[in-house]
Parts: sequence; structure tokens; C-alpha cells
Amino acid sequence: MLHETLAATNAVVTLDVPLPDIFWGWYVTMNMWAKSIGTGLVFMLFLLLKKNSSEMDSLRTPTLIVSFVMMNVFLLFTWLDLHQMWRMWHIFFYPHMTSAITIGAWMATLFVGLEALMIAVMILKKDTATFDKLLFWVTLLAIPVTLYTAGIMAEATARELWQMPTESVQMLLAATLSGSAAIILLGGSKLSADSKKFFGAILGLSALMAFIVYMSEYIFGAMKAEEVAAILNYVKGDGEYATMFWIGQWVAYILPMILVALSRVSNSDSILSLAAILAIAGLWVVKHVWLVIPQLLPLS
Amino acid sequence: MQLGFLVDLHLCMGCKGCEIACKVENEVPLSTWRLRVKYVDVGTYPETKRTFTPLRCNHCENAPCERICPVSALHYIDNGIVNIDKERCIGCAGCVMACPYGAIYIDPETQTADKCTYCAHRIASSMMPACVVACPVEANIFGDLEDPTSNISRYIQGHTDVQVRKPEKGTNPHHYYVGASQAHLNPLASRREEGYNLFNNITKLPLGGHH
Repeated sequence: MLHETLAATNAVVTLDVPLPDIFWGWYVTMNMWAKSIGTGLVFMLFLLLKKNSSEMDSLRTPTLIVSFVMMNVFLLFTWLDLHQMWRMWHIFFYPHMTSAITIGAWMATLFVGLEALMIAVMILKKDTATFDKLLFWVTLLAIPVTLYTAGIMAEATARELWQMPTESVQMLLAATLSGSAAIILLGGSKLSADSKKFFGAILGLSALMAFIVYMSEYIFGAMKAEEVAAILNYVKGDGEYATMFWIGQWVAYILPMILVALSRVSNSDSILSLAAILAIAGLWVVKHVWLVIPQLLPLS
Repeated sequence: MQLGFLVDLHLCMGCKGCEIACKVENEVPLSTWRLRVKYVDVGTYPETKRTFTPLRCNHCENAPCERICPVSALHYIDNGIVNIDKERCIGCAGCVMACPYGAIYIDPETQTADKCTYCAHRIASSMMPACVVACPVEANIFGDLEDPTSNISRYIQGHTDVQVRKPEKGTNPHHYYVGASQAHLNPLASRREEGYNLFNNITKLPLGGHH
């Protein structure tokens, strides 16, 4: 029990009907998860262009299409999560520029528009030079598009757990984790062994760094603020989300790290593919737990 | 003008008259509240007492709900009230997530955000908020914080134990309490235990959220 709850006062709430707790549920998890894959694939495609552009030929269009589809999944769930979804246009006609939601919606729309343009450039004109030029600018735009959800979480000031510095790092790592995993699966035999190792290393290192950040918050977060301590109790001991939290950590980070190492030792593509699948699946669980637990804490 | 609220918790007796008046005045749907009174029992039998805390929107000077709202549905009006335009709201629930006081809800009938507006419509007609009128002991004190002769300003000047909820959030609430303890204002200072509520097994209607 937290230090304010003194035995001497023995304070017990006997009448309070707080407002319903989980407002941002799995629709928002889908939103974050799909966006991570969508922007992550763009980052990886750009890295491939810089590292080994000869492998780009068969990957430009399919990678961009998958990214475009995931970005549309992200936009779809963002839209479905609105309680007044037919008023979505208000964001564009009555914008409030202090809101990360507004800025994010504008940037994501531009991002998806540019992706559509790049796909059109490839399908209609097969113009790889224009595609590669556009890829640079889309990769730059992918950075704030990845980060803006962290801004929304930071502006959700009632949820002390979500802090901009850690959430922005986690958003970027989620993109590099899921993007590298997705391009490993998507590239298949089209990627050289060298490129697979490269993306495997990004996958493993992203998993390691994300795991370190989560563990840092898990262990040290509680020492900084009583609200964070109370929230983290939901994932500690016999907390309501403890099992789900550890399933997420193992599936998204620990197992992929081990499997990436094994794949490098044994030169096994199938082990690397398994690591990629686990990372993508586990990321959903990790994101969901971190989204839900701050909403369980009573605010009154 | 900067309108504000002060509740003297020495006077409040937990009658919930303010809660009911608010419900009626603003046609607040079932299962939602713009204003509610929290009971916390303090002490160990026989040395026990029950505390009452009316909770409503704090109309913060630095309102997180106003900042996060993507369409300016939540906005300041000239008298300092944080008002809401339900026609503009898109129901993203950003404000629900941002308000540190849990004062905002999604109206199950309109599917838009809603909260206490200090009865802005009544104030526009030079009337007091409904909860102020209903309070039988005048525990709710409402007025202009920028006018040193107003009731609320004089009350603040005359008391040393004026507090706000969660001052560490930097929201600068315009809603004050006199006579409050940690058990009144800090949600982490009291336990919530199954079976200890006056009404257990409360059935809630399906509301916005819960996707």
C-alpha cells in the first residue's frame, strides 16, 4: 500500500462511482501496432536503398503496398475509435494546433497520400528514380508520424506512466522492430543473406533496447512517482495484467533476441522468420498492456 | 473575470443535493455525472468519521483537456470557464484521457464528451449554478476570483487551508477546497475495497469507450 494510506487514518472509499475506466482499448492498440509496421517498413526500405540498392528492384512496390495497407489499417481503427466518426472532417476544418491528435492526423494523411503517389509512380511509370527521391522525404516524414502518438500520450496528462521521452523512444523502437520483422518476412528469398543478417541485427537490437526501456520503467519508475508505482502494480506480482505483460515481453523481445542470435549462429532463415513473426505478434500485446494499465487507476 | 468555485468541506454534509440538481439542470444521462460526491470513511471504529468531497470539473487555467482537443470543442470562454461545444466534438476521448481529475465522460446519448460547465448557460442569464442554489448549507461558494470583494475571494483571503486537487499537475485549477485532507483530495490516500461500498454490485450502463 502506498505511504499516504496510513493505518491511523484507515481511509476507505465507501461511495464513489468513478467514470468508466478503459476508454482507449484495443482499437487504439491496433492503431499503434499497425502504424509501427507501416512506418517501420518505410525506414527499412530506405536503409535497404542505402545499403544495397540492387535488392530494391523487387521490393519497392510490394513493401510500399504493405506499408500503405498497414497505414490504412491504422487510420481505419483511428476512425472507428471516434464516437462521432462522421465528424472526422472537423480535424481538418476546425484544427486545434496545440493537439498532437490534430498534428498527427494531418501528417499521417500527408504520409499516406505520398505513399499512394509512390505506388502510382511505380505501377504506372515504373520510375524508380522518382520513387527513390520520394522515399527520402517520406522517410523523413515517417519520423514524426511514428512519434506523434507519443505526443498524444504525453498530452494525456492524467496518465502519469506515459512520458514523452520514453514513449517516443518506444515508438521508434516499435517501428524498427516491426519494420525489420516485416521486411524479413516480406523479402524472403529476394533478400540476400547479408541483408537478412542486417535486418536481423536491427530486429535483435530493437528488441534489446525496447526491453531495457520497459525494464527500466518497471524497476525504477515506481521510485519517481506514486501514481507510476500504483500503475506498475497492475503488472507486478499478482497484478491484473502481470501475466499479459510478461507474455508480451517474452514474445516481442526476449524470444526474438534469442532466435536472432540462433539464426546468426546456424545461418537459419526459418529461425529468423520465426523471430520476426513473434516480434510482430508480441508487439501488439506489449502495446496493449502499456495502453490499458494507466486507465485502471482511479482519478478521484 | 475569472469564475471559480470553492467548497467548504467543513460545511458539506454529503446530502448529494448538488449532484441531483446538476443531473436535473443539465439532463445528465444515467450512469454519468458532471458532479458527484465521494464518501471516504476515515479512522477505526469507534473513532470513525465520514468525509464528503464534491467532485466536478476544475476549470483549470492550464487545462489539459483544452490542449489535447483536436477540434477546439473544449475551449475557454471570457469568464474563464472551460466550455464544450458538443456539435463540434468528434468523440476521440482525448480529453477523457487528459483530465487528471476524471471529470470528463462520453455522453452515451450524444456520443460526445461532456462535463461540468459551471452551468455556463445559467451564468449567461445572471443565475448561479444549479448546485450552488441547491446546497442547503452554502458549502458551494461561487464567484469572480479577480474581484477581491467577491464572496469567493474573501473566503480565500479568510482561510489558510485553501487547497486544490493535484497541484503537482500544473493545471492551476479554479476550484478550491477548504478543510480538505489527503483522504478528500488524493485518490491514492484511500483504499477501494470490494464490499465496503454503500452500494455494491453497481450496474453500469454501456457507455462510450470499452472498445
